[in-house]
Amino acid sequence: MKLSCLQENLSRGLAIVGRAVSLRSVLPVLHNILLATDQSQLKLSATDLSTCITCWLGAKIKEEGATTVPARLLVDFVNSLPPEQIDLELVTRTQTLHLKCARTEANIKVIDAQEFPLIPTGIEDRKITLQPDALRQMIEQVTLAAATDESRPILTGALADFQEEKLTLAAADGFRLSVRSAPLSEPVPEPMKVIIPARALQEVGRVAAEEGEPVEMTIPSARNQVLFHLAGGALGGPIEVVSQLIEGNFPDYKQIIPTSYNTRTVVDSKEFLRAAKIALLFARDAANIVRLQMTPGEGEPGSLTLAATAAEVGDNVGQIDATIEGQAMEIAFNGRYLIDILNAIDSAQVALETSTPSSPGVFRPVGDEDFVHVIMPMHISR
Amino acid sequence: MWQVVGHEWAVTLFENSLAQGRLSHAYLFTGPPRIGKTTLALNLAQALNCTGKDKPCGECLSCQKTSQGIHPDVRMVDLAYQKGLLEGREGSTALGIDAIRSIQSDAALKPFEGRWKVFIIPQAENMTPEAANCLLKTLEEPPSHVVLLLTALHTDLLFPTIVSRCQVFNLRPPSTTLIREALGRRWDLEGERAHLIAALSAGRMGWAVEAAQNQALLRERNGRLDELLSLPGARRLERLSFAQRWGSQPERVKEILTLWLGWWRDLLLAKEGCWDKMENIDRKNTLLEEAEKHELGEIKEFISSIRETLHELESNVNLRLALEVLMLDLPSKR
Repeated sequence: MKLSCLQENLSRGLAIVGRAVSLRSVLPVLHNILLATDQSQLKLSATDLSTCITCWLGAKIKEEGATTVPARLLVDFVNSLPPEQIDLELVTRTQTLHLKCARTEANIKVIDAQEFPLIPTGIEDRKITLQPDALRQMIEQVTLAAATDESRPILTGALADFQEEKLTLAAADGFRLSVRSAPLSEPVPEPMKVIIPARALQEVGRVAAEEGEPVEMTIPSARNQVLFHLAGGALGGPIEVVSQLIEGNFPDYKQIIPTSYNTRTVVDSKEFLRAAKIALLFARDAANIVRLQMTPGEGEPGSLTLAATAAEVGDNVGQIDATIEGQAMEIAFNGRYLIDILNAIDSAQVALETSTPSSPGVFRPVGDEDFVHVIMPMHISR
Repeated sequence: MWQVVGHEWAVTLFENSLAQGRLSHAYLFTGPPRIGKTTLALNLAQALNCTGKDKPCGECLSCQKTSQGIHPDVRMVDLAYQKGLLEGREGSTALGIDAIRSIQSDAALKPFEGRWKVFIIPQAENMTPEAANCLLKTLEEPPSHVVLLLTALHTDLLFPTIVSRCQVFNLRPPSTTLIREALGRRWDLEGERAHLIAALSAGRMGWAVEAAQNQALLRERNGRLDELLSLPGARRLERLSFAQRWGSQPERVKEILTLWLGWWRDLLLAKEGCWDKMENIDRKNTLLEEAEKHELGEIKEFISSIRETLHELESNVNLRLALEVLMLDLPSKR
């Protein structure tokens, strides 16, 4: 393998794939990044056996080949180089990669590319096209509800449900649930449900944030993986994120979403977020309990009061204007969950539907029918 | 081509299961050390993901990756694995709950390259109770693409809850004839040496392969035997100094005592004239001479003393004291 490319490109490419390198791993080769020539481009791949990120960047290929290089060393080394051309050459006899940039040279020990897991690439015919902005927002809103605790692997993923012309993403961690649907540009040939690890989706969201072109998604027929193909641009080649699917049955989330409510509170999302942030300053020392009190107005606008008390810190009460429909009530939520969801909403107003202090609260952005977020209330003792 | 030597009945059973696609989700291989339990497990892992015709072919990429230990879907869950999880920090000497939790989250993901995800847990008796209990749920109903392979010395060393969730294969040591043939076929070892190693291995294929590749192993055994032969003629002080010398190395003592057990068993056989069953066939003459010097009862008694000491080694005994007792039990030369 012999090629040259620009330091900026290599550095950016490494930053993209480097996120998939596993820190703790049982296969030594997974600490490495795969460098391979692919037609007239340089392909970089990294994986932790759950998420794989591959990107292609423009390079001058003089000799075909492939190898794997320790990620941490390569990334730090390339980032420290001046923005000039880098020449890379693999010395097969000694299994080292020779790098040269301006007046700096280095030799890095490599592991044979044969040892690297085979990462599927290439988009199939049966693809689904998604708009990058919508996808990114969808991922952000849904994955925040996914569990991070590995004890129930299925909840660390998000359910992707494809039905005709609609994609629904759902995630839940036992305390909250996010469901978001989006229209598809063309109907899927057959309905399917897969569970995609939330971490992988977050990576897709991160990469898609810099994309203008539609994101193509495909589920190879073996149904073990899902592949997101982003046409790329800045680096001169596409970026692909492949994720292993999670096996199992996702809980029936539709049952959890309450169908009716006693009180519907509509508030300005920004003000709500600010009030929640202030309340959390006090609540974080008291199990994040933030108490919400809805007071309907008689003829005039009602109000929503957020209160937090920590025995050893102090207390706080904040009031915001609200349009309240139904009866007055009091309910408590985890302040951190409130902030998570309010951060992820970009509509001006948000509606909160509640029925009793011990039944879940439903958050809906006003004017956006496609997103529902449910939070379990916290128990308040008096 | 199955690499494992012996255990034909298990291999045939697996071949049939594979052909019919009817596999159990968990297998437990039990049997004495080094008879090929882990080799069989690895072979089965190869067969499950093999892309060749005659499974396991040993030649396809999948088989090769499995035998090199770099297959992304075949995980050897041992202490080295646990150490990898701890990012190089020294872990405990038992397989802990974190390792099991890590395979559980791993098992939820579908296989990366192959058809099956295979988790091999060698020496499952080495799991902590928490780890073993944590494994139960996965062992009972793993995801449909997962096969768990456990090995252990004996089912009694595991929780019954673990054993009942696995299909158990109680493996017996392969015969010395089989081992001799395999040594000749695959390790180019013929004649006297193959014969001796096969006899000495007493069914421990792993030991036989190691001895075939590592000359030092046989040399060391010779040294130990000479030491053993000198002891019955030695005085008490020398015997006790022997106990003192080995009293701090429990792992080595186990090896030595196993060697002795073999030797005294041979003496018993020699006394009765059963030549063909002997292990130490290179020292036939010495055995015959020694056998003359001891009574049958003496030999039998000492064999049970060795066995008792071996048993005590398992139960946290003062090693030096146990060896001293054994030394005093050692019959003297007449």
